Amino acid sequence: MAGEDRAVITAERDESVDVGRGLDALDTPTERRVPLWRRFATGVVPPIVALVLFVVVWQLLWASAIWPEFKLPAPGAVFGQIADEFASGQALSIIWTSISRAVLGFLFALVIGTPLGLLVATVPLVRSAIGPLLSGLQSLPSVAWVPAAVLWFGLTDGTIYFVVLMGAVPSIANGLVSGIDQVPPLLPRVGYAMGATRSQAARLIMLPAALPGFFSGLKQGWAFSWRSLMAAEIIATSPSLGFGLGAYLNQGQSLSDMPSVMAAIILILIVGIGVELIAFRPAERRILRARGLATGP
Amino acid sequence: MTATLDRRDRAPRTGPPAVEVTDVSKVFGSGADAVVALDGVDLTVAPGEFVCLLGASGCGKSTLLNLVAGLDQPTSGTVAAGSARPAVMFQEAALLPWLTAGRNVELPLRLAGAGRTERRERARELLTLVRLEGLAEKRPHELSGGMRQRVALARALAAATGMGGSGATEIQPGVLLMDEPFGALDAITRDFLQAELLRVWEATGTTILFVTHDVRESVRLAERVVLLSSRPGRVVREWGTGSETDVEELHEHITTELREVISAHGR
Ligand SMILES: Nc1ncnc2c1ncn2[C@@H]1O[C@H](COP(=O)(O)OP(=O)(O)OP(=O)(O)O)[C@@H](O)[C@H]1O
Ligand SMILES: [Mg+2]
Repeated sequence: MAGEDRAVITAERDESVDVGRGLDALDTPTERRVPLWRRFATGVVPPIVALVLFVVVWQLLWASAIWPEFKLPAPGAVFGQIADEFASGQALSIIWTSISRAVLGFLFALVIGTPLGLLVATVPLVRSAIGPLLSGLQSLPSVAWVPAAVLWFGLTDGTIYFVVLMGAVPSIANGLVSGIDQVPPLLPRVGYAMGATRSQAARLIMLPAALPGFFSGLKQGWAFSWRSLMAAEIIATSPSLGFGLGAYLNQGQSLSDMPSVMAAIILILIVGIGVELIAFRPAERRILRARGLATGP
Repeated sequence: MTATLDRRDRAPRTGPPAVEVTDVSKVFGSGADAVVALDGVDLTVAPGEFVCLLGASGCGKSTLLNLVAGLDQPTSGTVAAGSARPAVMFQEAALLPWLTAGRNVELPLRLAGAGRTERRERARELLTLVRLEGLAEKRPHELSGGMRQRVALARALAAATGMGGSGATEIQPGVLLMDEPFGALDAITRDFLQAELLRVWEATGTTILFVTHDVRESVRLAERVVLLSSRPGRVVREWGTGSETDVEELHEHITTELREVISAHGR
């Protein structure tokens, strides 16, 4: 009898193993890998086509001579100007001046914004005291700080960094706050149920769970650093401040040199997009993909 | 052949209880808004026993489980849960989405300070126990709902049993608390996971306190079914199941009792 039962059990077990395998196979989400050529065709080709179209339209407008040359230079003149600046080595020095400032300012903002965000997210009193102010500051254009900064710090690097910080710190702190707010409450509970101490829960659960929100704050913080830096460099110009992209733009205006004004704008745009594409996009994709949150190809 | 055939009849259990809840009450809030979730609940679970807490929605099952898990403190009474910290499993798998399945299972061992190689080895062992061998490198979003819940089971076993012995047979039995763990799954997957849970329970000798509002599930799984009343939650009755129990009759019986408890509320 007992032996017979066991045989029945084994048969049942085998069947249940098969059912389990079948369920696993049916329910497992399949990941579709987008082939490389398709990603190239949908991700790289359209922006290039758009760019070419833009230049063509520009060339046609210039050729139609609706506007005088000093208002709308030919695309060739602008790109020639950029090529000249690169050939003389001046472009690299200008770009380096600006980028090194933006990066340093961004790092400062990171060092200040992260603990600030942690404090606002975790201490209710601090949150009710400065939370609204912090989100308000995010919508204040940081160029508004330039006059005050010039009066406080004079025409020094202090002015520049102050404006950059006022632009980037609120974004970074708010990003961390919303990242922490969006962590499902079940995750820290599971951590405590497994015996995590408070510091273990913060380090191993809360921070990684808040990373996507924090990272989008960082991305915005970088954009604001770059923007604020340009505003500060355009307004506060002085030989003592070095010669960055903003100063180059300002000089173009005062010399009524339209090709170099447009060259400056294009360079500012390229640096902004370049840093986003090289530094932030891959890191963000890795963070989101690891969590199954990545969208698009 | 009876329907409880796959239940191994065990020797009577000895030793101190794995979970002992004595005269526990829990009140949420105070004054006029106070909700008495539990009132004078006594419950003892022997080591290695499988007990189901059954009750209508809102009767305080989760509250009781949280008290036993140490996630909350009782208003009065005492809760003792053996020597080791009980592990908890919820309705959602609640896996950490940025960690692989293997790393999720390792997490409680990591929190307890186990070394990298030994905890990796142990996680592999536990994933094999829940039939997920070879999937340690998958992320939660690459797994189906049932597979995620099995990873959560492996993780809970890691939390309950620690590093255990070197082989699956020498595991130190721990206490596993489960709050409607299969409630969000489809019927076929639930049926499969119930069988899997019984198998794992037999293989490990873990004590299980399992919350459900599904009478059939409780009768199928538990050795003992405990019925709670609603607001305030009290233990109404309990039933043992054994190899000679008629499952259908017991199911009928408990359902009737549960109906009575619920309709007593409407009066
Ligand atoms: N944190 C809380 N604050 C106030 N009331 C609570 C709290 N947690 C639970 N309650 C109340 O206590 C009672 C029991 O809740 P509990 O979640 O334990 O029920 P349950 O049996 O698990 O229900 P379900 O089957 O829906 O999961 C409910 O009436 C609920 O409203
Ligand atoms: Mg509940």
